[in-house]
Amino acid sequence: MKKVGLLVLTLVLAIGIVSLGETITLNFMQVLTSPQRTAWWEQVIKDFEALNPNIKINLISPPYEQADNKLTTMLMGKQPLDIIEVRDYTIKQLVDNGWLTNLTPYIATWSASKTLIPLAWQAAKTVNNTPYMIPQSFFVKALFVRTDILAKYGINPNDLKTWQDVLDACQKLYNPSKNQYGWDNRGRNSPFIFPDTLATSFVENANPDNLYILPNGQTIFTSPQYKAGWEMYIKLFKTSPQDSINWGFDSQVNSFVSGVTPILMQDPDTVGLLNTMLDKDQYTVVPLPVGPTGKAYPNYGFNGLGIVSYSQHKEAAWKFIAYVSSPEVNAWFNKNYGPLPISSVTYENDPYFSTGVYSAWAYMMKHPEKYIFSNYPFNSPKWPGWPSIQQADMQSLLLGNISLDAVLAKWNNYWSSK
Amino acid sequence: MSRNLKLFIMVLPTIILLVIFTYIPIGQEIQIAFENYNLYNLSNIYFNGFDNFIDIFTSVDFNFAQIVLNTVIWVVVSLAFQFTLGFGLALLLKKPFKGRGIYSGLVFYPWAVSGFAIGLVWAWIFNGQFGLINGILMRLGIINQGIGFLSDPHFALASVIVVNIWYGIPFFAIMLLAALQSVPEELYEAAKIDGAGRFRRLVNVTIPYIRPTIASTILLRTMWILNFPDIIYAMTNGGPANSTNTLANYMIIKMYSFYNYGQAAAIGFIIMSILMIYAIIYLSIFSRLERGII
Repeated sequence: MKKVGLLVLTLVLAIGIVSLGETITLNFMQVLTSPQRTAWWEQVIKDFEALNPNIKINLISPPYEQADNKLTTMLMGKQPLDIIEVRDYTIKQLVDNGWLTNLTPYIATWSASKTLIPLAWQAAKTVNNTPYMIPQSFFVKALFVRTDILAKYGINPNDLKTWQDVLDACQKLYNPSKNQYGWDNRGRNSPFIFPDTLATSFVENANPDNLYILPNGQTIFTSPQYKAGWEMYIKLFKTSPQDSINWGFDSQVNSFVSGVTPILMQDPDTVGLLNTMLDKDQYTVVPLPVGPTGKAYPNYGFNGLGIVSYSQHKEAAWKFIAYVSSPEVNAWFNKNYGPLPISSVTYENDPYFSTGVYSAWAYMMKHPEKYIFSNYPFNSPKWPGWPSIQQADMQSLLLGNISLDAVLAKWNNYWSSK
Repeated sequence: MSRNLKLFIMVLPTIILLVIFTYIPIGQEIQIAFENYNLYNLSNIYFNGFDNFIDIFTSVDFNFAQIVLNTVIWVVVSLAFQFTLGFGLALLLKKPFKGRGIYSGLVFYPWAVSGFAIGLVWAWIFNGQFGLINGILMRLGIINQGIGFLSDPHFALASVIVVNIWYGIPFFAIMLLAALQSVPEELYEAAKIDGAGRFRRLVNVTIPYIRPTIASTILLRTMWILNFPDIIYAMTNGGPANSTNTLANYMIIKMYSFYNYGQAAAIGFIIMSILMIYAIIYLSIFSRLERGII
């Protein structure tokens, strides 16, 4: 009896010591900072800290414009960071500089990993086929349509199934004398994704791992189908105001809200913004149109969380990542933020994501034969700067200063040279 | 302790700060300009001679000659109008009138706002579809279709220059007004007695008296405008089709889009060299002028 008592005492003491152990403080840096997003993270952190009294999370939120640079500077100086936000654009750089931890051993012990959608695995293993981060949100383009304006012209949004349908609708709408245009063009701040989404859907054998290099090793810019897609994009542009050559995201949204250009291709986080300016019956979202191939190769943007390679508290950092990546927390976060969640459970059981405007994306996720989610060669040393080069060339092309053949030849040269 | 040593100790803190925050970074910048220094691969930094400069001069994507020409137009036209209008404004504000304080406060206001914010506001004013200017012109019946101020290469550079002029006028107005107020009234009275009219008084009294201020503000402002990418970056990002790209904006593109710090530093080096040569020539001409050699 004495022995048992001693054992119990020891156990109680041991547990006591462990639970009284030092509080760990994790430094967590977000890069896609916005005031709302900071508030949501603070809420998640508060809930997490209530469940894990031994872990404190210190959220670092540099202004969005400087965040990537600040992150790099801090990592270069080996300043105390444990969890960092990783984006599609930055993951390659972060891995190549040896700043991220391979998460394979942690994922192996994580039960919720089974509910991750295939796209989440694809994103996690972007670099070296190794999971260096757990994605949190996806950005996939779909077609936003002003139902009220299209109704006046007798166009049903659900009929916009191919890009030819979209072009026909835009040409039907186009009437500059009434300040009515069709397509909502993007002219600057990485406009490449707009024509590319259309043009790649014309290509039968595009390569989902690298949209710019075909399976035969040639660049997509040599493909006659890709060129045909671009020809259609130029026609679409002609139904957009000429001024759209200088339009970024804000101008696009403004033009859509004003009704001048009622057909817009955008990411799901636009929904929250539009809901503050339009009634829900004024617009809808339909799945991305497909090309003559019956397919589309939508690019997917993503952001997620990774653990810094020199972190002293990797176990605790993983605990936090596993918590925010659980279907419930992830769904809550994305409901506020706008993009698409990472768990199949959410798409099936959460009415917010399975009905309404989000059903367009749910449909795309459920039809992998039509929608082949694809990557740009972010890993290529050619990528940095490409959006700027493409932007200048695309502007020249749409202004009519250079021919499509010349632009494609130039781009082929850029992507095939060593 | 000798007097010189005392003086040296007194200026030492300034020298230390300048060395740490100005000269060491400049030295590093020059070093990076001759290195392969890419944020995408920081494990592979090496000396690459003049490669960065050669790449910039021969780029097929960004025509360097066009960028330099844009920069020259951007600096010369902006400066000329900023100076003339700023000087005019200073002359108007020199004479006291009712509400002058409030009026000058309003006029000097743009100077206090960040260039980037000004770019964003003016991008909307110049918007070809919903912009204020197009709206006014359309209502007046002068045009029926919006002018693409920022999307048409014929207008884009002029549009960003207009904004830069608007932004820079207060600087000249403030500096020149201060100088104008120091011109002794007796000089004007003497000139009047000699029968000098308004114009003669301006050319032969005012301008010679404030010439040092004019010289230094023009020098400062030239450097500033050449180094100032904010407005262009916010309004057109150098577009459409590079028609508004300047050296300073190009440097930002090389840094934040290409992550190529080596080439960005090389552009910085080019800008610094241009300004240094400019400053030497400018100051030597000015000192000759002061000594009456020219």
